[in-house]
Amino acid sequence: MTPSNATGQPGVIQIVETVTKSELSTPWNVVVHNDPINLMTYVTMVLMRVFGYPRAKAKKMMLEVHNLGRSLVWSGGREQAEHYVHQLHGYQLLATMEKSKT
Amino acid sequence: MIDLRVEQLDEKRVRIGGLTAMLAVMLREMPEILELRDGPEASARLFPNPTAADDKINKEWQQMVSPELRHLFVSAAEIVTRDLTAMTGDNGDPEVYEVTFPVEHLSAWMSALNQTRLILAEAHKVDEEDMERRDFDPQSPKDLAVLRIQLLGYLLHLFVELEDDNESADRI
Repeated sequence: MTPSNATGQPGVIQIVETVTKSELSTPWNVVVHNDPINLMTYVTMVLMRVFGYPRAKAKKMMLEVHNLGRSLVWSGGREQAEHYVHQLHGYQLLATMEKSKT
Repeated sequence: MIDLRVEQLDEKRVRIGGLTAMLAVMLREMPEILELRDGPEASARLFPNPTAADDKINKEWQQMVSPELRHLFVSAAEIVTRDLTAMTGDNGDPEVYEVTFPVEHLSAWMSALNQTRLILAEAHKVDEEDMERRDFDPQSPKDLAVLRIQLLGYLLHLFVELEDDNESADRI
């Protein structure tokens, strides 16, 4: 999220949050986690809708979620990752974002 | 034998037909179950944190994003609740029911059905093994919840199929 604006008023301590270049450029991963209730067909449909993936790719990711417990479904900037997690939660999928280790 | 079907009648209307009395009751009870979304278990599942361990991001998310999601879920529930008031007998058969609603309500129906399933699963601590069972004890509240999750899941699956058909038709 964005840091708060400094006021510049006398007597007010300014706390400036700094974000280093490397932090900004570190990609974020969006991960979908397995849960026993969401239908496989439903998860595939959601991945197609949210990311615009073709059915084969969405199905492969869904099977990864089902068989391995999780699937990295997208990687990129933090804001976009937040947007995608928000959308996935809107469809009631268990999704998180995490900083990429690479 | 369930002859449940979801069909698009025309460009504007979708119909769920072949609803047995039991399924009709399950649908009519959905609004009541959906009201449980703010209970501790259901709320943790419906409004999950966006990260595994970043407390700052999670806190901001719960303050900013979760209320928006809640509004989305409540709206879907309200739409379905209204649609359900139009449930009638299927072709005059008193034992079979149908409900017709505008095609724009499809997403709300899918959301409400899945919310209901998730809330029931959290309330009864349903796991993968429970979902694979095919024998149900009618005296067990948990078994009845699993049966309800399965049947509503079948209806949700029919909605997904209908959406797939619509998307294929759009591409042609």
